[in-house]
Amino acid sequence: MPFREINSKMVEATVVPGQKMYSQRGAMLAYRGDVSFTPNIQGGQGGLASMIGRRVANEATPLMTVEGSGTVMFGHGGHHIQVIGLSGDTLYVEADRLLAFDGTLQQGTMFMGSQGGVMGMVRGQVTGQGLFTTTLKGHGAVAVMAHGGVVELPITPGRPVHVDPQAYVAHHGDVRNKLSTALGWRDMVGRGSGEAFQLELSGNGAVYVQASEEKL
Amino acid sequence: MFRLQGSKTLAVDLTGDAVKAKNGSMVAYDGQMTFKKMSGGGEGIRGMVTRRLTGEQMTMMEVKGQGTCYFADRASEINLVSLHGDKLYVEASNLLATDAGLRTGTTFTGLRGGTSGNGLFTTTVEGTGQAAIMSDGSAVVLRVTRQYPLVVDPGAYIAHQGSLQQHFQSGVNFRTLMGEGSGESFQIRFEGDGLVYVQPSERNTVGGDV
Repeated sequence: MPFREINSKMVEATVVPGQKMYSQRGAMLAYRGDVSFTPNIQGGQGGLASMIGRRVANEATPLMTVEGSGTVMFGHGGHHIQVIGLSGDTLYVEADRLLAFDGTLQQGTMFMGSQGGVMGMVRGQVTGQGLFTTTLKGHGAVAVMAHGGVVELPITPGRPVHVDPQAYVAHHGDVRNKLSTALGWRDMVGRGSGEAFQLELSGNGAVYVQASEEKL
Repeated sequence: MFRLQGSKTLAVDLTGDAVKAKNGSMVAYDGQMTFKKMSGGGEGIRGMVTRRLTGEQMTMMEVKGQGTCYFADRASEINLVSLHGDKLYVEASNLLATDAGLRTGTTFTGLRGGTSGNGLFTTTVEGTGQAAIMSDGSAVVLRVTRQYPLVVDPGAYIAHQGSLQQHFQSGVNFRTLMGEGSGESFQIRFEGDGLVYVQPSERNTVGGDV
């Protein structure tokens, strides 16, 4: 695990020669050793096609490449940081929540409509997350930002977890997600409980939920 | 059945029973849950009218079902309070969830409210069960006994329970009038027997400016 949590809002990463790391631009707080930071115009891995893909999908966050040898501390905006270790599975996360991740991870963009069809597209609009999300796949670690502390909830087959779309941070594993509505006549007349839309996650994996309903 | 998951998330295990929570504060759940807004906080017509009139508005929902429900609100720290037939006084905005068996109501607080930025009325929670209150930063619980009264900054006060009398005191003197005040000109003094919850942060109050 290249990320070491210093406190809940800062992580320290070890950079070794020949191993790249990506981080959100401007998220470096301090570093030791000989480390270089190069702005990454393409906004991540892959060639030109991936870059265009991200631009079109509006999942392009300014990233930088971190190379060299030494240790780097990352933090951003006083947000809580959760380190998620991946061992071969895929993490789904919004691009603007990504703080830093291993260069060994494969970055991609996923169309929400491919999971849950039309409802998946509606979901993106309702939650304000857009129609696309970023995926990271492989072996390595990811540092994700959230407002307030993060709770990890396991998802097991036959026991789906429902999440408030605004409190959803990320999920990994073999998980299907779908927007479920509990709209009743009460919501129509403005007497709703404020929980009309929920994300239903089922399958096998884990979901990360933040202790707040605020976006970053 | 209330437990804390970290310091900012409240987990409630439900087995077919119900819990009252602040509207929209659910962040996740597993199992089966239904959410229903309680008109007027579930206190009937009289309670509803009182709340409208006093400005101590509180929108609560009733959560019912089987499984575990998680609540959180704007990354506030959460404190659990156990009630054994006594009364908890808390600001409506600081109340996150209560057992369905607890009764909520409104009470007049006197002059205190005006300077603490809380309004003249406060919410009471009464009965036997658990309640979850929110604070900005982790709250400290201070015990008040007959020999040891406690004085609190109105902006840092969040809740109290037990048989306490509260007085409002001011330390306004000529320096304050000259604009050389210490920022601590108004205080609430608690006397009696009970607990006071104080947060390590101050709301913007009229009292804090002078």
